[in-house]
Amino acid sequence: MPQAAPNTEKLDDHLKAVVQALHGAVKQGLPHVKEPEVVEKAIADCKEILDEIMAGKVEEWLN
Amino acid sequence: MFTDKIEAKDFDKMDPEYKELLGHVLTIQADCEIGGPHLYVEKMLPAAPTKLDQLIVARTAAEEIDHFRKIARVAGDIGVDVSFVLSQPNEKRFVDAFRGLITTWEDNAVFGFLIDRVGRYQLEEFYDCTYLPLQRILPAIVTEELGHIEYGFNKTVELIESGDEGEARAQRAVDFWYVRALDMFGRTGSKRSERYRYWGLKRRTNEQARQDYMNEVNPILEKIGITIPDPLKGRRYL
Repeated sequence: MPQAAPNTEKLDDHLKAVVQALHGAVKQGLPHVKEPEVVEKAIADCKEILDEIMAGKVEEWLN
Repeated sequence: MFTDKIEAKDFDKMDPEYKELLGHVLTIQADCEIGGPHLYVEKMLPAAPTKLDQLIVARTAAEEIDHFRKIARVAGDIGVDVSFVLSQPNEKRFVDAFRGLITTWEDNAVFGFLIDRVGRYQLEEFYDCTYLPLQRILPAIVTEELGHIEYGFNKTVELIESGDEGEARAQRAVDFWYVRALDMFGRTGSKRSERYRYWGLKRRTNEQARQDYMNEVNPILEKIGITIPDPLKGRRYL
């Protein structure tokens, strides 16, 4: 087997959790698009998760 | 032509050119997957026209991040670390279409309609490819890309049907993205593309894939009342 790149599994696990959390936040909002309080909270949760991923601080995520 | 099917355990035995090409194409694919959210999340998540659209922007980003994850895993397992693209500034993206920022809803819609469609073409190049771990992750990724393309198409049509101004906005966005989409297929007669085909890592030449794309997308554009842009105007890779 080839030698895996460092942190391959850790990054995979982290991103799996992030994607799951994002889908969870979207699902919270989808049935409630006419209820401002619920949907705003869901969108805010999505934004918080996405902001972290877009910042791309891989070292911080994994350590 | 190389036609054997390779597992990760066989990778070390492969020709250096095969290793280099596979690592390179996985890096570019990873960059394109995460490059999408980097283009539209910042401005479109808060500015999408409805709450439902905002949630769909977030869901699309979630799916693209997951595509990145799957490609990064295949790459990481053969020792290719693609994590650097997670923090890569947009202007340094491998593919021109991902440099910049999407700031209007029409650009976001047409991006899904035209550029995610190129993404589907790129992924289809790996169908039946010689590297099995890559082949295995494709069906789920392509299914999600089809959803992004359909959503982008529907939003483009919605915009056109909203009235004269909407149609003009959609046309302007198509004029911008169409040539970038064609450029994404790379140069005609590319020697590197020939080597990808030799090693069974791609199926079509750049020009074949580009022509197939135009054959698919041009009739759709005509049907929805959009003028097909000059396919040569503003192109960087002919």
